[in-house]
Amino acid sequence: MFDSKPKKNFVSFFFLLGPFLCLWVLFWMVPTGLGLDLSLRSPDLELSQKSAILFDYPEKQKSFVGLENYRRAFDDPRFWKSLSNSFHYVLGSLLLILSLSFMLAVNLQSLSRFWQTPLLFCLIIPGLAMPSVLSTLFYLFFHGKEGALNQYLIMPLGFEPINWMMDPDFIMPSMIMQSVWRWTGLVTMFFLCGLAGVPHWQLEVARMEGLGMWAKIRYLWFPAIRNLILFAAVFLAVEGIASFSGAYVLLGGSGGILDSGLLFITYVYQVAFPGGSGRFDFPTAAAMCFSVAPIVALGLYLILRIRMGPLSR
Amino acid sequence: MKKFTSLLFLLLSVVIATYPFAWMFLSSFKTNDEIYQPTLFLPADYKWDAFISLFNASYLPFLRIFSNSLVLSFGQAFLATLISAGAGFCLAKYKFLGRGLVLFLAIFLVLIPKQTLAVPTFDWISWLGWRGSLFSLLLPGAVSGIGVLFFLQVFRRFPQEWIDLARIEGMSPFRTYISLLPLVLPGLMTFFFLHFVLSFQEHLLPLLLLDDENMTLPLALATLKDSSHRIPESVGMAAATLSLVPILIMFSLVFGKMKTALREVILS
Repeated sequence: MFDSKPKKNFVSFFFLLGPFLCLWVLFWMVPTGLGLDLSLRSPDLELSQKSAILFDYPEKQKSFVGLENYRRAFDDPRFWKSLSNSFHYVLGSLLLILSLSFMLAVNLQSLSRFWQTPLLFCLIIPGLAMPSVLSTLFYLFFHGKEGALNQYLIMPLGFEPINWMMDPDFIMPSMIMQSVWRWTGLVTMFFLCGLAGVPHWQLEVARMEGLGMWAKIRYLWFPAIRNLILFAAVFLAVEGIASFSGAYVLLGGSGGILDSGLLFITYVYQVAFPGGSGRFDFPTAAAMCFSVAPIVALGLYLILRIRMGPLSR
Repeated sequence: MKKFTSLLFLLLSVVIATYPFAWMFLSSFKTNDEIYQPTLFLPADYKWDAFISLFNASYLPFLRIFSNSLVLSFGQAFLATLISAGAGFCLAKYKFLGRGLVLFLAIFLVLIPKQTLAVPTFDWISWLGWRGSLFSLLLPGAVSGIGVLFFLQVFRRFPQEWIDLARIEGMSPFRTYISLLPLVLPGLMTFFFLHFVLSFQEHLLPLLLLDDENMTLPLALATLKDSSHRIPESVGMAAATLSLVPILIMFSLVFGKMKTALREVILS
């Protein structure tokens, strides 16, 4: 009776795991392979412009050029500019979102259900709106001399109104603010759920010992969600590198003044498709992706691995 | 006093988070001149012209775009939930050859965003001849690494004894999985909702793969914003308001379940 009927199990696994593996191969493995191949071929401008309409892939005999495209990508100052922009964007939004969410979660945690639920609900709304809606709102509502940021924040503090979208120094902060506005609520919800894991007796002890706010954060709440913060950081980093929609709508597909708002994926899009610079340079675009994505993924994987121990428990 | 400052901080954050959306809704009644004064909150008078022009498809076939987006996101979310739950269950409760590899694949799927594969995906889907149809976006969006990890975590909290018992009773893993599904309903709903939101917002792949007759909402909103010198801003605001409606309805339905599910996933 105790034999596990390996054949029957195999059929089950086939139905349970099969679709995932199948789609993984089709829409992850194959594009990766194609992309690697593409990144090693010459960008035949004339051909690709014609075939962009018809796109008969097999007839497009592009010659093998080795690492030529990677060299061109690395020689391109705008590639590095977009990478450094993306890095600043990720770093800035990460730090702001995580600290703000942590503060919000700690404050929400002490409230009664009656207050907590509606407040949390409202905080999450920006995370549910489309990034393009956030961008449009940013453009119409926040930015500009008459905009909310200048009228409600900058001018009451006694500064000169800032031209958020036209001043190269302020495009990146504008984009970071947008990302903070979008993600803080959702991350707060995750943190709040994590904070519920602090046992009641610990809070009770802390209260009886008369622990201050700071000590409670340091010894109770932060340790309770340390891993969660790491997960949120990794997720936000991936999301930040992949972010396209917000910047695309905000800057109309360009990089903004002096490329100071040019994000990595936006630049890849510009290189690959018309409407940007119209270069139609698929191979270089692929080469850019393949020189960045694996390094980022590996770095994040190592961070997870080191901090969390082996993930494959 | 401390309670008061904390409440004040929270209320301020809520106002910052939501006020622009109230402004957005009211702006769908405003004229361009009124919209260009962001500090103005209430419109001078309430005309539903912007909404009517959307429904009459004066500028864009909005209803079609809207239903495109809904169908696509429902499809993606449904498939992703189905597929990820099965894979997550296997990873959580069974030891089999290649388990480590599948887990590794799922983690890397999270860490490498699909936007970086956009160019070759475009190539591949064009080669398959699916370009221009909504179907082309359905399947690539249905594979989710985060989903697999989420359900791995969801199913992990069930005692191993249950699985052993099911095996002794002669139930196949598949039957066991089906009989456990009702117990993870909050998890299923949560993931469905989150994936729905993400695919509703997806911009880059639809931009590459769909043509102008088959737009989804993010593309339509970008078009409306780009051509704002020809189309009144209020139309864009009305479209943005409408795009938020289905998500908000779903969110208020799953919100309670979502907190339960997330708490279980995080604390297990």
